[in-house]
Amino acid sequence: MDAALLILSVALPWCAGCGLLLAAGWPGRGAPGAGDRPAGAVALVLGYGYFAGLLVLTVWMRLLSVAGVGFGRAAVVAPLVALGALAAYLVRWRRASRALALAASIVRPPFAGWRRLVWLLLLGWLALRFATLAVEAGTRPLYPWDAWSQWATKARVWYELGRIIPFVPADAWLAGAPGVYFDASPANPATVPLVQAWTAIMLGRWDDSATNWPWPFMLVALALAMYGMLRDRGVLPLGSLIGAYLVASLPLLDTHAALAGYADLPLCATYSLAALALYRWASGREGRDGVLAVLLALACPAIELSGSAWALTLVPGAIAAFEPRRGPRIAAWILGIVAVALVGLATGTLSIPDGILQGGASQPSAAWRSLLDSFLLADNWHLLWYGTILLAIVGARRLVAPPLAQLAIVALSGLAWVLVVAMFGNDLASWFPEARVADRAALITAPVLIFLGVLVWRELTAREAAPAPPSPASALTVDA
Amino acid sequence: MSESAAPAPPTSVSPARQCAVAATVFLASLVACAAVYLALNAHGPWFAAPSALRWTARNLTANRGTAQLATDSLMVTAPDAAHSVVIALGTSFLARDYPVIAWDASGIPPNVGAALLWYSDISSSRVFRRALTVEAGRIMPVDVADDRAWLGRIRGLALVLQGSFSQPIAVRGAMAKPMSALELLQDASRAWLKFEPWSGSSINGLVPGLAGESLPLPAALAVVAALAGLAYAGLWRWKLRSRGAAIGSGLAVIFMAAWVLLDARWQWNLLRQADATVALYGGKSWQERHLAAEDGALFAFISEVRAKLPPPPARVFVAADLAYFRHRAAYHLYPYDVYYDPGSTALPPPSAFRKDDYLVVYRRQGVQYDTAQQRLSWDGEAPLNAELLLNASGAALLRIR
Repeated sequence: MDAALLILSVALPWCAGCGLLLAAGWPGRGAPGAGDRPAGAVALVLGYGYFAGLLVLTVWMRLLSVAGVGFGRAAVVAPLVALGALAAYLVRWRRASRALALAASIVRPPFAGWRRLVWLLLLGWLALRFATLAVEAGTRPLYPWDAWSQWATKARVWYELGRIIPFVPADAWLAGAPGVYFDASPANPATVPLVQAWTAIMLGRWDDSATNWPWPFMLVALALAMYGMLRDRGVLPLGSLIGAYLVASLPLLDTHAALAGYADLPLCATYSLAALALYRWASGREGRDGVLAVLLALACPAIELSGSAWALTLVPGAIAAFEPRRGPRIAAWILGIVAVALVGLATGTLSIPDGILQGGASQPSAAWRSLLDSFLLADNWHLLWYGTILLAIVGARRLVAPPLAQLAIVALSGLAWVLVVAMFGNDLASWFPEARVADRAALITAPVLIFLGVLVWRELTAREAAPAPPSPASALTVDA
Repeated sequence: MSESAAPAPPTSVSPARQCAVAATVFLASLVACAAVYLALNAHGPWFAAPSALRWTARNLTANRGTAQLATDSLMVTAPDAAHSVVIALGTSFLARDYPVIAWDASGIPPNVGAALLWYSDISSSRVFRRALTVEAGRIMPVDVADDRAWLGRIRGLALVLQGSFSQPIAVRGAMAKPMSALELLQDASRAWLKFEPWSGSSINGLVPGLAGESLPLPAALAVVAALAGLAYAGLWRWKLRSRGAAIGSGLAVIFMAAWVLLDARWQWNLLRQADATVALYGGKSWQERHLAAEDGALFAFISEVRAKLPPPPARVFVAADLAYFRHRAAYHLYPYDVYYDPGSTALPPPSAFRKDDYLVVYRRQGVQYDTAQQRLSWDGEAPLNAELLLNASGAALLRIR
């Protein structure tokens, strides 16, 4: 029974999110020449659908709380069932059978030989990875520090009391404000605790292993979205699957899926999906992509406090997308000013008032050293940073020109924010000297870097791939 | 334009063959890099070297400082009056056969210096000294082959720790290493495949060198991939280009081979971790899982506390010396209306307490309760009237009256 309820707790928001996207007619047209049925549409809807569903769910729970309706199972489930039914209606049997055929083609891809072998090995490897992470997350009680001191505290209270109760700073609590609670970070946004409370509501009891359950599925959904968007951009199925694998195999991302309860993975996924939707909008000017990108960007601050800073890093990319001719130049100016400011702060030429950035860049060389050690020596990223540096050098000309310039600007803005975090640290770094906060910041931008890397690679190798006569096997693509 | 017969087109290389060539180049690069690494680091003979000498904690003696023998380590709890610790062991081996000495010690704070002492049968009245490097709380192996005093038969070794410390330092033993090629490869593979269980800092990322890796695998594989990439590019220019092969797919295969090797190690670690997690928590209810966790004793106490408390949301204050216990006790107490100081051991002033508030005390010094007068006080503050509801060793629940 518990297993069925847990599966429902994942499936309901997932179906609801898919229904919402299908109702909005998304993803619509794909890459130029893709026709009405963009490649990777199913994967795109599935990948984006889970996060859309979770966001709709948490907005609904907020509304219920404002309206004074308790978090009963029926009250919370109602809109999800409605949206799920809408999805079922929109997909209907004909499209469902097409989706099933596409699902079958994933397991038995229409290409042969070594490609098929690699495809199946990668799928098997990914399945093993997701299963391992799910076992870890679903068996271990909530483990990482902030998860039980800042996030699940709220989830437990809201689940048990059936509504959102405000958490306030210590002085307000000690002053005796009625009906308020306190924890180690009362200002944290409500989205993550509401997702945890939702799982407990479905289960009918508090269980802080079960409330970890959505995190591995967030990684699955992120990998699906990555695959779908790469297919949508015209990357062949195997290349797209490799891109999804590169994301899903990042050790730090896996760690956040296994040791669930932090907001980093949901923020990483929401931010990445916003950046990719923005890129899709910049390429095709499809209004629904723009709306999706804006909604996902606006959701970032509702997931983690630093989400607002991350949402801001999308702005230079948005400028470049709005003004394809002047935009990149404006964005380059903004990033140049930020770079000069960072160098000034790092060298001590510039100073900032106390309290704006905690910690201070008292030892910039130590911060750089720590960042390089972590990126290049510790196995948190496999070879991500080596590959990024290499592709940035080899593909520099393609990165500053359309169609990749807009996404490159987003990636560069994200990396600038990572540098700010690396140089100035935060409270956690002063509590735990070995803590790598910059790593967690870099986590947010890693999927965008991988997506961009795959596209740069495709651009670099397109010329040599073009003249080759298509073999019967390589000409086939999977519309999954 | 000449109409003479055009030269026959070169046989094209199939994609599968290109991948096979790239994979072969990667393997060759792996072997070449390993050979260079061994040539630079293997001081001893590559073959037929003596086996490494190992000493466990039982072979160690604390000549200075205070130490206790635990299950598998000598726990050094305090230095002597001169802030020194000397851990000695008797040996008998030929210096030329063992150029590297490795102490297995952890928990060394940054302010504590470490040095190796030894004496030999050549000048047994003299003791020689060599400074040791401490990284991430561990002592790095020291290469003494170039030391002119590393001669003859070594009769004794000692580890010197200089500085003050409050947390115990665990010394598990020492090794004399011949630095043969085989041993170097074994050391590297052992470090790379060492199981790294989750720790409190895992969520922030792994710290390089923490697992004792002297040769970080990502950097090593990046070098291998770079060399293989250059070699493949040369091969492509020399042979493959004229046969219609694409350079991109070959380079991608090399990059992916290095990535997959790293990922295989990561998956192996994840599988061992999942096995350990299931062994500890599998098949248990969520309460049983918490009882089996590292703070099981605290969870058991808080369960007793909850049984004594009225239904939520009563106000509950938490006091503990360790931040971990304050945070964890509060977590286990929700949905009670809990207050604790996240950053210090301080309790709020007595004026912040109301009638029918509760105080949970867990391993907190400075809290007194007068049973006869039912008066509670802490840190020299004015006493409060309180009722003792639960009293365990070092832990209590009180109701303010």
